[in-house]
Amino acid sequence: MMRIIFERSGGFMGRKVSLDLDLATLPPDQADAVKLLVAESDFLNLTALPTNVSAPDGFAYSITVETGTIQHTIQASDANFPQALRPLLDDLLARARSR
Amino acid sequence: MSHHHSIFCILPPHMLDQVAQSGTTAQRDMAARTLAASRQIRDRRGSITTSVMRGSITATGTAQRTVYDAKFGTNLPGSIARKEGDAPVADVAVNEAYDGSGATHDLYSVAFGRNSIDNHGMNLNSTVHYDKGYDNAFWDGQQMVYGDGDEDLPASERLFNRFTISLDVIGHELTHGVTQYEANLVYKNQQGALNEAISDIFGSLVKQYQRDQTADAADWIIGEGLFTANINGAGIRSMKAPGTAYNDPVLGKDPQPAHMKDYLTTGQDNGGVHINSGIINHAFYISAIEIGGYAWAKAGQIWYKTLTEKLNSNSNFQNVADLTFQTAGEIFGVGSLEQIGVKTGWTEVGIAVVDSGGGIPPIPIPGGDGCLKGLLRSVGLAK
Repeated sequence: MMRIIFERSGGFMGRKVSLDLDLATLPPDQADAVKLLVAESDFLNLTALPTNVSAPDGFAYSITVETGTIQHTIQASDANFPQALRPLLDDLLARARSR
Repeated sequence: MSHHHSIFCILPPHMLDQVAQSGTTAQRDMAARTLAASRQIRDRRGSITTSVMRGSITATGTAQRTVYDAKFGTNLPGSIARKEGDAPVADVAVNEAYDGSGATHDLYSVAFGRNSIDNHGMNLNSTVHYDKGYDNAFWDGQQMVYGDGDEDLPASERLFNRFTISLDVIGHELTHGVTQYEANLVYKNQQGALNEAISDIFGSLVKQYQRDQTADAADWIIGEGLFTANINGAGIRSMKAPGTAYNDPVLGKDPQPAHMKDYLTTGQDNGGVHINSGIINHAFYISAIEIGGYAWAKAGQIWYKTLTEKLNSNSNFQNVADLTFQTAGEIFGVGSLEQIGVKTGWTEVGIAVVDSGGGIPPIPIPGGDGCLKGLLRSVGLAK
């Protein structure tokens, strides 16, 4: 199993956008695509980023991935968002914004 | 700052009255500010030629702008799309960032004598077309960054337009730079909400200045035009009536409080910096209305002096209330209409000003040896 809890907060408007995605609820091909994004970003091995890096009005992001045995969270801002996580972020944002 | 006060103290009121009635916007503004300040110093008046006055205005520097295009990626600053002096280009976002940062530079220069973000002529760099579907704008510590809103969604699903569409957003972002170089307020909790409010205040003043609007004629909306027609809202925030800017099935209701009793304690958004700023915004609005006239001329002047000379990185709501009250007394006199207006603003949002009891300090004159000599020194004609 895999569950992804995503949150984007802050920004000029201070409006929170969030998503709680259980991959079991997705069509199999979509679930596989998301799993691939998580694997390709090496998410579960990313170490924590400095938490005090923020840009005024920049977004703050929090991504948590839960598998059967592991729970890992990465928090970042527009000022220090890792490039390796961009494809995963784009996918999660597209899902969160279309709801 | 010193040449400022020198200018204040040598313009004869009859000339100012004339300029205030028939000058250009910039001249009227200058005259209004000067008339206010000259009350303290009418016994030290001299005379001045128009050319010297113009010289003092240009002494605060001209804008040096560069607009970059991130081409929907996230690498900053991106490639140059328009630089200072270039003719307008086909890309409307590029031109809006260019014109908006110029308008912001003008307000700071003409109304407050400030030479760009750092007061030392810093280049104004902006990046447009940042990321895909990026409904936001921010200051990254060195430059302004603007997304195109929901450009990647079908028109019927878009909530946000491009963020350069709103002049006060541009003024807001650039003001984060000014705050960084001045009080450098911590971006968290009350300090962060104050940081946000300062950006809304001066962002709104940029718009009012460009539109030549007095306080009672302005809409006091932040982010006007950011919402598409799919959203029920006038803008992101209302300084006039916090909590009423939008009310929409998708976005919900504007959550801003207008009074300390509704201050929101939260871990989100650095402690609700974009929420609780409504309290400060509203206090400024009330003060500007109470004082009357152009908001940048008096209320703005009080806040600019407070930001640049008195606030520090840990200043909270009570501190800024006390310090703006004190500053209003210094500029316009203890018990003046302006100082009472500032106090009324704070009272109405639930903050009781603590009066430090200070009187009017002397106007700072360079070298302390007279008004005319101070002016001559400021324009390089005396040592």
